[in-house]
Amino acid sequence: MRKLLAAALASASVVALSACGSSGSGASSGTINWWTWDDKQAAAYQSCATAFEKANPGVTVKISQYAVDSYFTKLTAGFVAGDAPDAFQNSVQFFQAYASQHQLLPLDDLISKNNFDLKKFSVGVDAWKFTDGKQYALPLDWAASAIYYNTDAITKAGYTPADVANLNWNPDNGGTFDKMVAHLTVDASGKRGDEPGFDKSKVATYGMGQLAAKDFIGQTTWNSFVSTTGWRQGDKNQWPTKFNYDDPNFVKTMKYVKSLTDRGFAPKINTFSAGEGTATISDVDLMGTNKIAMETAGSWEAATFAKLPGVKVGIAPTVEGPDGKTRSDMSNSNGNNIWAGTKNPDLTWKWVSYMGSQECQATAGASGSFFPSIPAAMDSAAAAVGKQGVDLSVFTKALKDGSLYGAPAYANGADLQQTLEPLFEAYFSGSRGDDVFAEMTTKAQTILNKKG
Amino acid sequence: MVTATQETTTLPVAPVATARRRRIRRGHLPLALLMITPAVIGFLVFFAYPTVQGVYYSFTDFHVLSAPNWVGLDNFRELLADDVFWRSLWVTVYFVLLSVFFGIVISLITAVIMHRLTRSTVIRGLILLPFLISGVVAAMTWSWMMDPGLGIINSLLVELTGHPLLFFGDSSLAVPSLAAISVWKSMGYNAILIFAGLQTIPGTIYEAGRVDGATEFQMFRRLTVPLLRNILVMVVILTVIGSFQVFDIVQVTTKGGPQNASLVLQMYIYNKAFTQFDFGYAATMSLALFAMLIAITFTQLKMTRAGESDLN
Repeated sequence: MRKLLAAALASASVVALSACGSSGSGASSGTINWWTWDDKQAAAYQSCATAFEKANPGVTVKISQYAVDSYFTKLTAGFVAGDAPDAFQNSVQFFQAYASQHQLLPLDDLISKNNFDLKKFSVGVDAWKFTDGKQYALPLDWAASAIYYNTDAITKAGYTPADVANLNWNPDNGGTFDKMVAHLTVDASGKRGDEPGFDKSKVATYGMGQLAAKDFIGQTTWNSFVSTTGWRQGDKNQWPTKFNYDDPNFVKTMKYVKSLTDRGFAPKINTFSAGEGTATISDVDLMGTNKIAMETAGSWEAATFAKLPGVKVGIAPTVEGPDGKTRSDMSNSNGNNIWAGTKNPDLTWKWVSYMGSQECQATAGASGSFFPSIPAAMDSAAAAVGKQGVDLSVFTKALKDGSLYGAPAYANGADLQQTLEPLFEAYFSGSRGDDVFAEMTTKAQTILNKKG
Repeated sequence: MVTATQETTTLPVAPVATARRRRIRRGHLPLALLMITPAVIGFLVFFAYPTVQGVYYSFTDFHVLSAPNWVGLDNFRELLADDVFWRSLWVTVYFVLLSVFFGIVISLITAVIMHRLTRSTVIRGLILLPFLISGVVAAMTWSWMMDPGLGIINSLLVELTGHPLLFFGDSSLAVPSLAAISVWKSMGYNAILIFAGLQTIPGTIYEAGRVDGATEFQMFRRLTVPLLRNILVMVVILTVIGSFQVFDIVQVTTKGGPQNASLVLQMYIYNKAFTQFDFGYAATMSLALFAMLIAITFTQLKMTRAGESDLN
């Protein structure tokens, strides 16, 4: 009993102390809360926070990280309860939901008041312009995809890294990409995918990682293939009213992707996950354990792939399209939003704009956990990561040669996801045929035009 | 004569006693009210108010961050035309049927075996263990065991058949796999309830049965099951309600997939409310589920005459 009392007293005094701490907040001092869903970025930006605190005495920056599964639910709960973070990392998928409900602070006034130069960002600014024409976020990063491959598997199959870097693809016969994937696939008895007697029901190593994914944008999976045909997700890039799932090039590409799994060259949907809640083996581990020889994956995984013990992973650009030269890939930028309900917009802006400075981007970017949107910071980040043995030249080159295009901003993202994913799954698992594409198109159209 | 005197002596006492009791009761009223206040406040704050609020929201277009907007019966019209809702209702019913049927059969068998063979508290405790584990932990552990690449169950299956089974990745296996977890988790608790019910059946009835030459199975069918009706009805109703409200194990394992094959109603309501912020429509679906549960419970009570017992 006495122990209990002591504990109660102790916690009461802690409350009193912390109350004292926050009572001294003024305009130029106080605590700024910033949230991210990425644990590596939380650690990377901590170095910026320390520098910022040093430059602004009396200011504390508190960085919190929550797993992406619960991040947006927590954020919404924070909006409702009035204790959301002052600023936070946000995904385009939730941009419209939050902006249309007035939870995000338009930054235009702060930008012009402080003469902040938006032109220093080479990607991602437009994705954060809302339908009202206002700028709601500074781009935090950019991401693209590339082909990652197991160097040993490639060499053993008689290929060189240059062969992977020059793969071409078309939706009709798959081009040189298809031939390489078939040859890289090996069954349990050691037969390759293009040899007679190959048993597709007992595949030991898939030539290609998962392309048949339920993700309705196909980021890091089918997107870099279908984009080379000139296909784009929406009828327009910002706030589309229609998704082009009924385009013949799209349908042909999906058929091709499915044919890879049907022939046993790529894993069927859900092969490597216990369910949607738990993806138990990451794609990096699949390559590490020789389950796959090659795959398309996000740029943010470059550092993780490089650190795989015992496996040397090479990075190649995404495939060339049917014309034999066009590469095309979607690049996506997360944004740094300020909450409309923040008690300290000026101080928060100071932190957010500091995060968008070359100094902070170069420091945090050196971790390799994200790519800075500022070209100079990107170069110095790439150099820093290069010293750790991770070659990012494929991505820096893609940023400059124009093969990247910005990801669309669209309305009602969560609804789209929950409606379209089951349809993609149905197609790739074989329970639905080509008729699914017409349904996807109509359903997406209804949701895109729904007023939230 | 003796009784008469007793009556005469006791009679005048009775009214006094009841009067005093009444006085005591009245005297205790404020204290009684005080004692139930916390429970009543809890009920009002955590049940009555949210329920009324929920009913109100179901007639509105409500996106949490802005005030609700009255839309009349629009949400109910949307509900009637929503394929995903009807599909998820069917998925839920399928889950309920599987978990109730197998749950009851397995618990009943376990309880009868326990009753016949052992009174050991240790074994009873062991059987109850899964029930004490939180749903999230149970679902996590099972999803690891059922994992196509790493799981122990699939390692065994590959040894036996050469192929793993995608328990949560195959649309025809997802709901049965979830039901299996649910049965595993609730089986012990139900078995203990039924076991308690078995102990109330007098041994003489079985002796009579044996004298009449009934076999063990006949006694089970014609004596045990009918005499257990009360307990069984309670267990069935609890399992039906509990299964209708399944959420945690789905959220942890499949999140409703693949292809919405395991999108139970609660999961769909959660998605609509907490990821799409369509709280109005989510409230409408909750109200529909509430109405269905009330109807099902009353029908069950009526049909099974749960208030009566054959023992008296």
